[in-house]
Amino acid sequence: MKKAVLVFIVSALVLISTGVWYFRTKTDIAPLEAATGFGVIVILMFFAFFFGIKRLTSVMRDEPAEDEMSKKIMVKASSLSYFISLYLWVFVIYISDRVEVDIDVLIGSGVLGMAIIFAICWLILKFRGVRNE
Amino acid sequence: MNNRIKELRARHSLTQDELAKKVNVRRETIVFLEKNKYNPSLKLAYDISQVFGVTIEEVFTFEVNG
Repeated sequence: MKKAVLVFIVSALVLISTGVWYFRTKTDIAPLEAATGFGVIVILMFFAFFFGIKRLTSVMRDEPAEDEMSKKIMVKASSLSYFISLYLWVFVIYISDRVEVDIDVLIGSGVLGMAIIFAICWLILKFRGVRNE
Repeated sequence: MNNRIKELRARHSLTQDELAKKVNVRRETIVFLEKNKYNPSLKLAYDISQVFGVTIEEVFTFEVNG
């Protein structure tokens, strides 16, 4: 329960600070830069809220928020997404040599890509299950 | 690895939710176990067999290839 509440508080704080940052500096940000920056934040917020809600519903249902299968899925999704992300970063480096894009946008896109890759890996494992075979 | 969880659960008139609570896991873990989409740890296998009052071998069976 404590962990779920903490996730919500941290998410709310990040969201508020992002809002403050955006409304204070919105005239100075390039559209692409803003899009990647906000994309990363929105995805991270989505994850935080999703896991927070999942934890809360587990607590309400009187079942453990995490068990061995959910932990195994998380570990496997993390390792798989890390492995795939290495190729993503190689691609980002390749692109950076050929296309003139701001470094902030490149890093933002890389982080955004990592978040998306993790989400896809997690969803696949969640529906397919994990076997040790 | 195959298992007889669904059969034993029905024999003991337990729902997936009740079994999950007895072995302290989420209901979806029991769902995945019954569909053979997840291999449990030794501890979970032991806990499940204890709930049914049988040995681990009676719940989980291995298929040896070749």
